[in-house]
Amino acid sequence: MKQRINHTGRKRIRREWIHINFNRHKGSLVSFNLSRLDLPAHLELPLGAHIFVEAGYRTELKRFCFGTVASFSPPPSTDLTDMAHPENLRFRILVVNPINKKILALADRIAPEEPSRRKSILPVEFRDLGNRIWIIVYEGDEGGPILCINSRIPDIQNIALRDSRFFMEVYPYVIREVLTYMVFVEGVDSVTDPSVDWHRDWLEFTKLMGIQPPPILKPDDSRFDKDRVLAWIDNVVEAFCNKYSHSFEEFIRKMEENP
Amino acid sequence: MIAVRIMMPEGESKFREYITALRENASAACPDLNIEPYSSEFSPHIEVDSDISFNSKLELAEYINEKFRKTDVKREKIIGENGLWTWLAYLWFDPLTCFDSSTGNRIIREEAKYICSSDYRDYYRHLVAGPYRIYSLHGSDFSKIFLYSPIHEHNDFIEQIASRQFLISHPNLIEVLFRLYWDESKEKPKSGAQSRGKPGTLRRFVKVIQQFELTYDVYSLSAEEIIRLLPEEFNKWKE
Repeated sequence: MKQRINHTGRKRIRREWIHINFNRHKGSLVSFNLSRLDLPAHLELPLGAHIFVEAGYRTELKRFCFGTVASFSPPPSTDLTDMAHPENLRFRILVVNPINKKILALADRIAPEEPSRRKSILPVEFRDLGNRIWIIVYEGDEGGPILCINSRIPDIQNIALRDSRFFMEVYPYVIREVLTYMVFVEGVDSVTDPSVDWHRDWLEFTKLMGIQPPPILKPDDSRFDKDRVLAWIDNVVEAFCNKYSHSFEEFIRKMEENP
Repeated sequence: MIAVRIMMPEGESKFREYITALRENASAACPDLNIEPYSSEFSPHIEVDSDISFNSKLELAEYINEKFRKTDVKREKIIGENGLWTWLAYLWFDPLTCFDSSTGNRIIREEAKYICSSDYRDYYRHLVAGPYRIYSLHGSDFSKIFLYSPIHEHNDFIEQIASRQFLISHPNLIEVLFRLYWDESKEKPKSGAQSRGKPGTLRRFVKVIQQFELTYDVYSLSAEEIIRLLPEEFNKWKE
């Protein structure tokens, strides 16, 4: 059997541990979002090791610090507007020993999950929300939804991006709220070819969850079936929870192991 | 002075035909490509001197940089604009080609030197886009080590470093190159720096850094730290 020797001893960060996507404004790529980076305990990375993300293509290179292994902390800005060839950018994620500058773990040539021409269906922003934990505002492109999380909560960026409990407790409600707003407040003019881009994106999302939408999503249409629409929203939320239940189970398992 | 234009596919095709024709016939007529549909005016309006002469690639890059800077055109907007670079090469085609002193014939180099390509094997070779790309990344001081030569020449610093994304995109590595191999008194690279197969020369530097890249987060290292890590064979160049 052929043996591979890793002389450097550095660990590989697997692609499935990373969620990264581009953010767009009016169709132009403006920044990126590293919404998930799992660094499992078996990698045995020192808690003080630094996490860097590099966006690069040919001569273009820009680096962002995402805190440490112990404290994942996205930078205030992941702006990419000053980079040439933004559509072609690929990412490199490094975990680095801050003392001797050696690479401890690496993921290279990471392409964003979604085709870069597609925008994120739910941009996330951190704002001072007083005593509320999160809200949805409809201030995105064409009045699309943005998830705002309270920046006053200590370590909230870390929690929001990496804590499975937060993910499972918040996102089902977010999905329910956005779909309810989309149908009952705005109304979708066509299920097959909606004129509003964010409606189209969210309908695609529900189909990806394996749930087909009812044929009429416009409340003032005489054929609109309110109960059917509410059942559809319920089904999407349930499908989402089922799809990501393994993350929640993993979280519970860890809690039980390290109470 | 002439308004900057973008070469269109029709113009690029004609320019390519002209370059090919010149290889066969030194007196082939240069087509006028400064008209539609061969090219279209760049926006915003910028004028450049068609008769200007540049003593080095550095002067060429400085000139272009200044023209775009004055009109607030950002580098990221033009780096990938192949038609712009092809048109500029067309505009300055005579100085970008050189003449063989023994035969008097014009020396036409590979097409990628004049027609800007997105191909990863060629893009850094373009005689106008290449210098601008390096200059806009590393500024006038450190760029000198790549841009000291006449505008029609392609030197080994460009070939060995600019062709490698990892090397050209790290300012600290460019500073190391400059500190090791640039002769300040002669305003050119130190003698022998580009020799092949000798210890501590440019090609060895590339190999050693490619090894470092596997172990170190090179970006985090200062130029001084990188120099200290270099093996003994580089001692001669550190002086």
